[in-house]
Amino acid sequence: MTWQRYFLAFVITAAIFGTAFYITSRLDNARIANIRTTEDSISIDILSSETQFELLGNLDCSTIAQNPVLSDELNTLASQLSVAEANLGVTNPEVIQLKKQYSLLEIKDYILLQNITNKCGTKPVYVLYFYTNNVACDDCTRVADVLTYLRGEYPGLRVYSFDYDLDLSALKTLITLHKVNGQNLPAIIVNNREPVYGPQSLDSMQKLIPELKSLAAATTTSTSTKIR
Amino acid sequence: MDYGALGVYLCLFVALYFEVFLLISYLERKPSLKTAGRPSYYPSIAMLVPCFNEEKTLEHTVESLLALEYPKEKLSIVIIDDGSKDATRAIGERLASEHGQVQFFHKENGGKYTAMNWGITHTESELVGCLDADSFVAADALVEVIKRFESDKAIMAITPAMKVYRPRKMLELMQAVEYTFGIFYKKMFDNLAALNVLPGPFSIYRREVFTSIGLFKHAHNTEDMEIAFRMHANGLKIANAHNAFVYTTVPSTVWALIKQRTRWSQGFLQNSQDYKYMYFNRRFGNFGTLVLPFALVAFFAGIYTAVYALFHALGFVWSKISDLFATRIPPHITTSHLNWFYADTGMMPFLIITVLCGTLAAIFLGQRIALNKQDITLKALVAYFALFGFIAPVWLFRAAWGAALARESKWR
Repeated sequence: MTWQRYFLAFVITAAIFGTAFYITSRLDNARIANIRTTEDSISIDILSSETQFELLGNLDCSTIAQNPVLSDELNTLASQLSVAEANLGVTNPEVIQLKKQYSLLEIKDYILLQNITNKCGTKPVYVLYFYTNNVACDDCTRVADVLTYLRGEYPGLRVYSFDYDLDLSALKTLITLHKVNGQNLPAIIVNNREPVYGPQSLDSMQKLIPELKSLAAATTTSTSTKIR
Repeated sequence: MDYGALGVYLCLFVALYFEVFLLISYLERKPSLKTAGRPSYYPSIAMLVPCFNEEKTLEHTVESLLALEYPKEKLSIVIIDDGSKDATRAIGERLASEHGQVQFFHKENGGKYTAMNWGITHTESELVGCLDADSFVAADALVEVIKRFESDKAIMAITPAMKVYRPRKMLELMQAVEYTFGIFYKKMFDNLAALNVLPGPFSIYRREVFTSIGLFKHAHNTEDMEIAFRMHANGLKIANAHNAFVYTTVPSTVWALIKQRTRWSQGFLQNSQDYKYMYFNRRFGNFGTLVLPFALVAFFAGIYTAVYALFHALGFVWSKISDLFATRIPPHITTSHLNWFYADTGMMPFLIITVLCGTLAAIFLGQRIALNKQDITLKALVAYFALFGFIAPVWLFRAAWGAALARESKWR
């Protein structure tokens, strides 16, 4: 019996585990970098849109209508953040930092949408969706699933999702402005109406958003870009 | 945090460690190639064929023994009918009348070990072999065994390389892959002097084994395992003749397979209890420090992993059903993101793939050792990887349950 063989087998096995850990970490870091790049890109998009709005502010609104201002990349970012949360955990500092940036971008996008609506009298359909990660919230997941499905069916529907417990002053202000109660999450706010709390089925959600009828339904298969 | 996953990581570590250990052992001492050399001496041998209701295969089994390339005056074939209720007795008597090498005996049913012991005590040959009546040997198998005995005078018993006889159904193909894997690890156990079983199909013993440590015991219906344990306990060496091929018929239905493996697994647990002093005991070499502990850990790791996987699978299905009822979202097709970003690149998939690669490597090395060119097809590999994980947990559970209740396993 050779103890060297036992030891060598242990070293090789440990090395394989170490390699697995290293590769996983590298891929997670690459994911973080990817999300950061997407956020930077969205940030520039929104800044560009804000500038564009100011430039076009005195012009005909039909010109604005021809220039889409809301970045679809926010949707991609949402699903990427979901993956990062699943891999690194919701309490990971990097993930929290990225979520804060994401939430800020959403708020800026939301404000820009309000400005265009006021200026041009457009009738967008948008939902503010508040969820929590602090407790297991199956209803939050289900509401997110319904919203994801609806966004696939109606590409014109804008959904802004927010982690209620995120420590971000701009988000706190938004929560205060809309008087969202964190005890009854999930909460949704449709087109700046009163918050609605609790689980929602597809039918009840469609009743809460009658404006959906004004949006053209998608003709293609929905994508699985998930709302967080 | 998923604490259950920590247990799965531990199981993966143990599985990987064992595979690495065997692969190191393979690289250190690769199995020798088959040679045309002949033994310098042909000892006398009695090949015992214990049988119980084996009318379908007995004749073929005896024919394969008659076809062995071995001096006829040195080889006697002893059929011991253990109280069969079918035509086994008539077939055995006919074979004995037709062939001078064949002897037939009928006795009251008492279990396989009693038939074996009857044969041992009623013969006087230098070697005693056993061939289950549902197995068939290659013509040169006995010569290969004798050559292995000659290579080391300390060897007291030899196991062959077992292959599945004509695998056709998916379940048989699955077992063909499993047996090929077995050829590899048995050879590696031979390298480690830690073979843990002397299977019924064509294990050959020096007669001194029985004179020094006694005859076969009931041993929870796994007398072939217990004798191996007892030999290790008494410092008797067991080896593997990887060029001695024996073909065995395997269960062709799931239930028959589960019953067979429950008997083996439960026998392992109960024999482990009887020989628990050998665990982690350096006095018994790699058998005590590696093979026995690993086999026990593998047993419970199999159960743990199955429970974990079942728990998660049921949880997933339940959550999908309850989501469907709660949200009322109609079934719809969603396109997946074809991007590395969305792939599951956690540690567990990486490690599972590594363990599966190690298993594949062992299967292909087993195939090489066994000179198997046709048995291990892609279909067989698919059958193995698709079925084994679902069926094996069933016999592990049954064996654990039976052992916990100290209930006797069923032979058939």
